[in-house]
Amino acid sequence: MAAQAEAEEEVRLELEAVAAVYGDDVRVLRDIPPHLVVHVRPRTADDSSQQFVELFLGIKASSQYPKEPPHIYAVERKGLDENRQSYLISSIQSKAKELSNYPMLVTLCEEAGEILSNMNHPAGDCPLCLYPLVGEDKDGSVLPFMKLMSCYHCFHSNCIMRWWEWLQHGDANPKEHKSGVIDPSKGYDLSSSGKHCNVNQHKGFCPVCRKVFDEKDIEHVHDLLGESTSQLASLTLDLGEDEKELLHSEAEQIRRKRIESLLNLQQERNGLIEPKKDLAIQPGMYVTLPPSTSDAAVGENAEPSEDTTTSTSETEQQGQNNTTSNKPKNSGHRRRNRANASRRQPHGQPGRQQWQRKEADTSHQ
Amino acid sequence: MTSSSPSSSSPSRKALSKIACSRLQKELSEWQVNPPAGFKHRVTDNLQRWVIDVAGAPGTLYTGETYQLQVDFPEHYPMEAPQVIFLHPAPMHPHIYSNGHICLDILYDSWSPAMTVSSVCISILSMLSSSPAKQRPADNDRYVRNCCNGRSPKETRWWFHDDKV
Repeated sequence: MAAQAEAEEEVRLELEAVAAVYGDDVRVLRDIPPHLVVHVRPRTADDSSQQFVELFLGIKASSQYPKEPPHIYAVERKGLDENRQSYLISSIQSKAKELSNYPMLVTLCEEAGEILSNMNHPAGDCPLCLYPLVGEDKDGSVLPFMKLMSCYHCFHSNCIMRWWEWLQHGDANPKEHKSGVIDPSKGYDLSSSGKHCNVNQHKGFCPVCRKVFDEKDIEHVHDLLGESTSQLASLTLDLGEDEKELLHSEAEQIRRKRIESLLNLQQERNGLIEPKKDLAIQPGMYVTLPPSTSDAAVGENAEPSEDTTTSTSETEQQGQNNTTSNKPKNSGHRRRNRANASRRQPHGQPGRQQWQRKEADTSHQ
Repeated sequence: MTSSSPSSSSPSRKALSKIACSRLQKELSEWQVNPPAGFKHRVTDNLQRWVIDVAGAPGTLYTGETYQLQVDFPEHYPMEAPQVIFLHPAPMHPHIYSNGHICLDILYDSWSPAMTVSSVCISILSMLSSSPAKQRPADNDRYVRNCCNGRSPKETRWWFHDDKV
């Protein structure tokens, strides 16, 4: 009996050690015998942009632990295909067998991190252009790619940007602009607009898994593509494009718009250092402006599109009113548009409807 | 399944963009290496219109029958869905109209640029294979009457509420 208590104590110490190493990344489902789920990430010095795989690793020990190695399984994975995942799991299983009779929980987690670090690269083809993600184009230059943070699906940066632009502005087809359609069984279905071709502004969905992503998820790609236009030339698969075409490309126009709004914002916040203009000195010219608009900064994170309207000359109170009052206005507008729908379509089995029908108009407000 | 009448006229057919061309060439070469089971691409020099023979799957209502799919690619493929119809005679199916139009969500609202001709073909064959009866959609006559002059099914406002077939 004393031996059993001692063994239990040892397992408890082990669990403490795991908790100490992994902190919030470990979830203990059961103490004795231990059952835990560890969030394992590759070692990329916390640079999330360099992370292409991750795994929630389940370790479930029996009452015979550590004599009997625990059951190892994958709870959830991102960026790992079947092959790499099964290789990872079987490697950890054999490590566990190797370590039978010894406390092994921390070691197993470390092993998983080690293997995952070696697997930290995307595999396969870009789902959009179907050419290899990691590879060279005809000129021998490397095509940059990126991943969506929500699902770790990877695309060539240029390919996903094209999709993003298509979602935001793409449907140039006039039939889309006619009117909304009302689903009589559900009333106005606001949720549907985020999923299909007419997506809310600043939202997109992953072409592979349809997980919704935000504008901020691909913002860094704007930056990347903006870094050098010569690089952009190599990004496009249209290798024959001349520079003029390039400067009129959708990516370039988006980049310009974005930089311009950034510039305006900086100007409004007096954050821009410009060469002095020929201005006559006027009374009150150097009066300090109201304290920095921290509310506006918060609003910026939530609503990146609206903060350009927030001027620093407003007081904090006004700034707040501004951002909060904008939202209901927008949604009210959307609802009105829907109410204008001229076509009403009866249909047979309202309960059965599985897919959303075409939504008109929502992406063009 | 219901459909409303098509609205507005077809947009004029534009040549494929370079991106669309590049992607289609890639799809074609992959198809040639590894075609989806039961499908045969008819070789032409037209990249923008594929005609594909579909063989009814063994053990289904369509065993031994062959149909033809016509796939037309828009300028901005794959951002925009291809137009997929059955050439005459279209198979008798509760989601396939006698003019060849197919009521299948992935061809319209649920299209995603990560889909390929090959994956679309497999979806269509799966839809055929799960058919309980060889019959036309309930609103076939009304729909086909409204689709005169070879309108595209992409002009139709589709309603999808049957997840069984």
